[in-house]
Amino acid sequence: MPDGIQDIDCPSAVRQLWDYLDQELTEDRMAEVRQHLDQCRSCLPHHDFGKRFLEALHAGQRRQLMPPDVRRHVLSALGDAGFMLP
Amino acid sequence: MADHVEGRTTKDASFARDALPFMDDVYRFALSLTRDPSDAQDIVQETYLRAYRSWHTFEPGSDCRRWLFTICRNAFLRSRESKRFEVEVDDADTEAIAAARQHRAMMDDGTDERLATVDLGPALDRALADLEEPFRSTVLLVDVEDQSYEAAAGILGVPIGTIRSRLFRARRQLQARLRSFARDAGLPLPVSDEAQGNA
Repeated sequence: MPDGIQDIDCPSAVRQLWDYLDQELTEDRMAEVRQHLDQCRSCLPHHDFGKRFLEALHAGQRRQLMPPDVRRHVLSALGDAGFMLP
Repeated sequence: MADHVEGRTTKDASFARDALPFMDDVYRFALSLTRDPSDAQDIVQETYLRAYRSWHTFEPGSDCRRWLFTICRNAFLRSRESKRFEVEVDDADTEAIAAARQHRAMMDDGTDERLATVDLGPALDRALADLEEPFRSTVLLVDVEDQSYEAAAGILGVPIGTIRSRLFRARRQLQARLRSFARDAGLPLPVSDEAQGNA
């Protein structure tokens, strides 16, 4: 086991799960959670569900684009302010 | 005079290259704040006008999208007479544990498997639209626009701990909506490998 990596229990892994999925933990904490998930059949489904949920949320919302007339209005207002599209 | 024109041309070129490509992202963020397409358009326009006038303060090479989100959020607050959304700082760890309890309930009643068989997009769209501020804008910045907790905290002007607790609570609320959606829609349970004799 690398220095700084400790065994963690299920409550600890669950507490850190969102931070883990968001990659907001330190390198050591990331490794601890990853190691726990590799070994724990109880926590892994939580991880898989959370991951799929975040992927669906991200993909669905990224498909939403701005209506074309908004861009025209903004560019027109910028033009009034002196901006010229190169 | 020639220098002035050349300077403006350079400014316009860099603004067009670095700022304009993020208009869709700024619009999504503005819409998450206002929930009204017309208001969102006004906020986007105000954001870009302010960004253009302040372009000399933008540091080349830094994160332009983050800079625009910050201007957008400030434009929104001004449009609401500088009314700030303040929420209590909850314990993010408690929220994370509550989320796990919800995961468990969703797995126990089969919601998890039901949801695996369908496109979650439309249900998530509705659930996100129903989220209250400031939770909606926090989810949009982190989960959709890929901002870090630190960046989202800077854009929204709150501590990182507040971002975490808002985010975790919002995700729990979204998942609760998904659970209701699966139940109300009567989504069928998929046939498992075991049931098919493939275990």
